[in-house]
Amino acid sequence: MEMEQTKALRPTLGDVEQILATLAQEGYIADREIATAIYLSIELHKPLLVEGAAGVGKTEIAKVMARALATDLIRLQCYEGLDVNTALYEWNYQKQMLRIRLEEGSGRTPEEKEQTIFSEPFLLRRPLLQAITHPRAPVLLVDEIDRVDEEFEAFLLELLSDWQITIPEIGTIRAQHVPYVVLTSNRTRELSDALRRRCLYLWIDYPSFEKELAIVLRKVPGISRQLAEQVAAFLHAVRSLDLQKVPGVAETLDWSAALLRLHRDHLDREAVERTLGCLFKHHEDQRVARGPWLDRVLAVIADAQRDGQSLQAALDRLERLARG
Amino acid sequence: MSAEFGSLTEHVVEFSRRLRARGVLCGPAETADALRALQAVNVLDREAFRLALRTTLPHRREDLAVFDALFDAYWRARTPPESDRRGEPSEPRSVAEVAAARPPSLRRLAEEAAEGQQDLPGYSPLEVLTRKDFSSFREDELDVIARLVAAIARRIATRWGRRRRRARRSHLLDMRRTLRLHLRWGGEFPELAFRRRKVRKHRVVLLCDVSGSMDVYSRFLIQFVYALQEALGRVESFVFSTSLTRVTDQLRTRSLRAALGRLSQVVPNWSGGTKIGTSLRQFLDRYGGLLDRHTVVLIVSDGWDTGEVDVLRGAMQEIRDRAARVVWLNPLLGSPGYQPLTRGMQAALPYVHVFASAHNVDSLRELEHVLGRTRERLARR
Repeated sequence: MEMEQTKALRPTLGDVEQILATLAQEGYIADREIATAIYLSIELHKPLLVEGAAGVGKTEIAKVMARALATDLIRLQCYEGLDVNTALYEWNYQKQMLRIRLEEGSGRTPEEKEQTIFSEPFLLRRPLLQAITHPRAPVLLVDEIDRVDEEFEAFLLELLSDWQITIPEIGTIRAQHVPYVVLTSNRTRELSDALRRRCLYLWIDYPSFEKELAIVLRKVPGISRQLAEQVAAFLHAVRSLDLQKVPGVAETLDWSAALLRLHRDHLDREAVERTLGCLFKHHEDQRVARGPWLDRVLAVIADAQRDGQSLQAALDRLERLARG
Repeated sequence: MSAEFGSLTEHVVEFSRRLRARGVLCGPAETADALRALQAVNVLDREAFRLALRTTLPHRREDLAVFDALFDAYWRARTPPESDRRGEPSEPRSVAEVAAARPPSLRRLAEEAAEGQQDLPGYSPLEVLTRKDFSSFREDELDVIARLVAAIARRIATRWGRRRRRARRSHLLDMRRTLRLHLRWGGEFPELAFRRRKVRKHRVVLLCDVSGSMDVYSRFLIQFVYALQEALGRVESFVFSTSLTRVTDQLRTRSLRAALGRLSQVVPNWSGGTKIGTSLRQFLDRYGGLLDRHTVVLIVSDGWDTGEVDVLRGAMQEIRDRAARVVWLNPLLGSPGYQPLTRGMQAALPYVHVFASAHNVDSLRELEHVLGRTRERLARR
């Protein structure tokens, strides 16, 4: 019964098409796969586990979801050594000390004092407790869950199924409204099967040529279609290279902005070399990109555009270039 | 028509079973989710139907490819909703109605789900597999066993984590308890409470022989030790055959499976002959700084050295002197009647603290004890 009530109170985003529209409105270029995952996560009341390489827009999903639902986003950034105190709650020690000082000579028994200073006003709410006690269902983003240790993962799993927290001094706190949960992982560590099975799953790959083109056109005001196409095609080729750090969408946008700033309307060797740092963050990668590979890729892109043919055929050739 | 739609539920159940049989992590709970998801989307839209199943049934990237292949094969053979809709009533019954009209199967699924989260029938042959030598696995068994290895490692890591919690020595101020004490004594006797400190993690250096027949064992060992690194602390990995290559970064930055595949292309002489002594000497010269009294050195090799025995002996002695513990894993030790008689093995043995096999899943479990004891011993220092 309780579940039913909670659900009724949760605003939903409508069907998949509506979500696509909402996402587009919010500036997020999503495909149906992403929209479906978000939609089902809300409909089925299940956390969404989003995996993919760095820079493909995993975190954005939670942000956009919160904006679209007009609710708050509560973010738990994970890191190695994150413990329950930092994620859940902590006592406000300074405030407790002050209260003890103030109560000196008040004649109250230690037990009474203890009860006062271990009560809710002295509690510091960390993200997980905030999410549970929020007046309306927020979006809880657990970012980079792969960075925490197994124990914390087990704790989180428990929280995701029970939606209640026990604080020894106060008692058990149950969630008023079950939050929408998005977990992201860069796959630096394998997550437990139990956690995976608790969630719906979404893998986000690097964007396709079309998607990246749409993103560039939308997010880089003033860029010409020609340059945007070249940028997207170039990135497509870059990602088939064997690199230390494959550039993500953030890098694409930085690079496009840099090219614009240099007043470039097309790619050539000089333009690419001057802006290499935007895309390649490793010395070794820059060396690879500077090599003869660059001329071949630029030639393929220029040819394709000059002949007015679709870039799609050129893309396949670019991929083969990278492998060969 | 209703018979056809009625069977959709059964088909989804059957489809999930087939996924499971192919090693996809997916049980009755997932099937129930999939059916709920189908109630929420327009199943007459084939793409919506596909995405609903794809979001709910698989949970791992590796499983997505399995899903895609099976989806095409399974659902093409069956009613693609739009093509079979000729001559039907203009208002098609939605799957939601059909599903609602068939509560028994849904309920059964939910019950199954509640009973047996762990109970994945597709995994039962594992009992046999744990005693089987790694080298005798067929290609299609390798994946299943790799997952099992990772699962064992994860269990071990969790157990160690709990042990760490009980550690007694402590240097961190426990504010919560300090305040309570403070309160008790009215602030007159300042007394500080401490809590446990996280035990310092140890470094593991993994030196894997990837020559010839050792290749397959080394793959499993790398996988095992990597899954353990949460609990072990920092792992540095090297592979060697006639020379030594550091592979720590390659293993860290990519998914392990892909990394191992790539390694065999990058590393010179992968699966060639062996020069153990020379390789260990190379390790000492270039990476000797990694060794200190908190380091456990794990060498995985069958001891077939084609180089100078003296070089091997010298290198082993130096490693023993500088590291906390030297563990030699020789998969041949698992074969009945094996005696470590090769010249290389004979030369190395005096400098080895622990000599063990690592030829099958059961022996990896034993390795847990070896590593665990070493950890605790080091923690007490």
